[in-house]
Amino acid sequence: MVSEVSAPPKSASLVGALVGNNQIVLVAALVVICVGISLAVPQFYSSANIIAILRQVAMVLIVACGMTMLLITAEVDLSVGASLAFVGVVAMDVINVTDSVFLGALAGIAFGALVGLVNGLIVTRLKVNSLIATIGTMMILQGGVFLYSREAIQNHHHLPSFVDIGAGYVGPVPIPVIVAAVIFIASYVVLRHTTLGRYLFAVGANEKTARLSGLRTTWLKLFAFVLTGALVGVAGLILGSLMNAGQPTAGRGFELTVIAAVILGGTSLSGGRGTLIGTLLGVFVLKVIDDGIIVLQWNQDLQMIVPGVVLIAAIYLDILRRRADAR
Amino acid sequence: MPAEAATAAVAETAAPLPLEMTGIGKHFPGVIALDNVDLSLEAGKVHALMGENGAGKSTLIKILAGVYGKDTGTIRIAGRETSIASPGDALRQGIKVVFQEIALISEFTVAENIFLEQYPTGRSGSINWKKIRQDARALFERIGFDVDTNARTGALPISQQQMVEIARALAHEARIVVMDEPTSSLTPAEVALLFTVIRRLTALGIAVIYVSHKLDEVFEIADTVTVLRDGRHISTRPIGEHTHDTLIQDMIGRQIDDLFPRSRGQASGKVALSVKGVATEKLRDVTFDVYAGEVLGFFGLMGAGRTELAKAIVGFDPIDKGTIEIGGRPLHPHDTRTAVSLGIGLLTEDRKGEGLMLDLPVVYNLSLAALGSFARGGFIDETAEREAAQGYVDRFRIRTPSLFQEIKNLSGGNQQKVLLARWLLRGLSVIVVDEPTRGIDVGAKQEIFALIDQLAADGHAIVMMTSEMPELLGLSDRVMVMGEGRITGSFSRDEATQEKILNAAIV
Repeated sequence: MVSEVSAPPKSASLVGALVGNNQIVLVAALVVICVGISLAVPQFYSSANIIAILRQVAMVLIVACGMTMLLITAEVDLSVGASLAFVGVVAMDVINVTDSVFLGALAGIAFGALVGLVNGLIVTRLKVNSLIATIGTMMILQGGVFLYSREAIQNHHHLPSFVDIGAGYVGPVPIPVIVAAVIFIASYVVLRHTTLGRYLFAVGANEKTARLSGLRTTWLKLFAFVLTGALVGVAGLILGSLMNAGQPTAGRGFELTVIAAVILGGTSLSGGRGTLIGTLLGVFVLKVIDDGIIVLQWNQDLQMIVPGVVLIAAIYLDILRRRADAR
Repeated sequence: MPAEAATAAVAETAAPLPLEMTGIGKHFPGVIALDNVDLSLEAGKVHALMGENGAGKSTLIKILAGVYGKDTGTIRIAGRETSIASPGDALRQGIKVVFQEIALISEFTVAENIFLEQYPTGRSGSINWKKIRQDARALFERIGFDVDTNARTGALPISQQQMVEIARALAHEARIVVMDEPTSSLTPAEVALLFTVIRRLTALGIAVIYVSHKLDEVFEIADTVTVLRDGRHISTRPIGEHTHDTLIQDMIGRQIDDLFPRSRGQASGKVALSVKGVATEKLRDVTFDVYAGEVLGFFGLMGAGRTELAKAIVGFDPIDKGTIEIGGRPLHPHDTRTAVSLGIGLLTEDRKGEGLMLDLPVVYNLSLAALGSFARGGFIDETAEREAAQGYVDRFRIRTPSLFQEIKNLSGGNQQKVLLARWLLRGLSVIVVDEPTRGIDVGAKQEIFALIDQLAADGHAIVMMTSEMPELLGLSDRVMVMGEGRITGSFSRDEATQEKILNAAIV
């Protein structure tokens, strides 16, 4: 009976078999892109370029881990790019005043977490839709950072340990990559194996259900906002360190890259659905394309255009897959 | 069969019947909503269409209204075979359906609504407002009902909005008027008035389809009754050939006693839930106790406050006044987290909206409330979780291909069993069930009834909110009746009759 029903629409089941798993598609896409670029430009797989890619991936992945959890709870944060720039400025300023990289880093992360908390409170207490709320905070932060400082704040004391956060290595591995790996693994474990992770899915899948089951839904959403904010703090420190300055104009469009990567990885904007492995692959696909356009010496404007096309294509594939699933 | 003979006899004598539907079939994905259903109307007669939820009444009506297309079968209007493409098309062919959810534009006046599709215009093409008002008043005179035709429609009570819909039927010269559960939110006086108007319609030679599951009303107003069950035509008989029992039997397909197994004896006498003087925006001074091992049924008409009460006592909605104690301990602070930890939870009437996590697997849905008990240091012991879930899947005979099937792919009955299992796994002592069999087919209903009975026998206290009289009488040890947010009656199992309960429900 079941086979009779599913047999006729052959094309649909073929598509279903081909794109049976969103992550397989991403892996395949990644392989194709890497091989293609490598054939055209062999220096693509030089260790210098690979490390450059990894460092780029690390920055995005750190924030994307938080964003994945936030999207799973059916909320979103568009202010992460604006916050990223502000974090760098605040951290640099505190370092210049206190002469302590540790206090500067703490201030940067705390600032990011505070932005997350404010976002979370606006969404959970004032019941403002998170898309709108964080567009609001994005604008406030973009203006605010210029009120705080018109110009880039330089590393006045020339503290080398600040530069190490972004540019340093442990053995052959850049420090940001290690930081990103630790955050990724911790996030993966939390989301996959703990009650906290399961509750985040529950809140996103159906908030009323979660509340009727005795879950602290407000608290869970706040957690995801604050975590995302704190991770923006970490990424902001790395960016500031790479530039060795607090740059108010940094981070433009960063939020779009992060959200695009998370969505590309199969996390649903409507909540309750998503994986960190998918997010990892999504970040890699976007960043490899980014790098490829540079090493291929293509027009730089394509760095925005190509990911846009890829994102739409990936989501459309996912729709085809679900349709095939539903049969 | 007498039914066929009766229809045949009529067909020979008079002009073509206003409506003949034969062999109507309709499939939705995974569900056969209608299977070879026949329905014929006589001019000037009221034809009741009865059946439980999911029997196919609404689907049949929606096909007639042009909301759904039919898969198979033929429709004849006044002897001519036809198809009904859209609601507007239905109206043009003389069919007016008055749905439960009134489809009027609430910002328009009564008169404007009546002539919505065909405003009379003057020579210049401008609308002749004076004529609209006059014509509207004339229509209301014909049905013997007085309403301010300049009133904003949304400001009128539902009963008057129904009259506006009926006037619209006359304005379109409809020959067939369908009333879909018209009395579900009316007071008895309004029901009496509605019946007067329906009799006026039949006197004008209009055929009326009266959709309802209320027996008393059908006996009062109908000439003929067609019963549907599980999408199939069960019987069509003159009302005179039916008794309450034969109608119920046709509707549920078996004796009422078979549907409600009873394994339990007396309740223990220990108070499991004590509600005192609870008041909210919608509730006034609600006080009652529930004992371990009993089912306390709450009945009420639409808007009586049953769901509001259910949500208040499980901490989901705030209360203004009163106290709630579960097993002697007060529900304080008043939230669901405290409620669940004290051992009370809600099996919601709105499974999709408030019960299920549709995209998540069966096991996650089942374990949600009890997840903490499978965790050490925040880490979930997934093996233990799966074993516990599998235990309930086996025990409740939940039909799912696997624990990891997304729950949206299960039938309503199986979804309901998962939600019930969610609470049992958590170990609640008081379970509040709101319309436990809404949207569930008859076979699964019986299983849910048996489960509720079993839970009470195991010593749980069950508070059951229902609008289904057979369910209420079949399952409850005691019955509380609500009206306008208050408790208006309280009956023991032996005292409770449909009549007494309805009288108490009508405030």
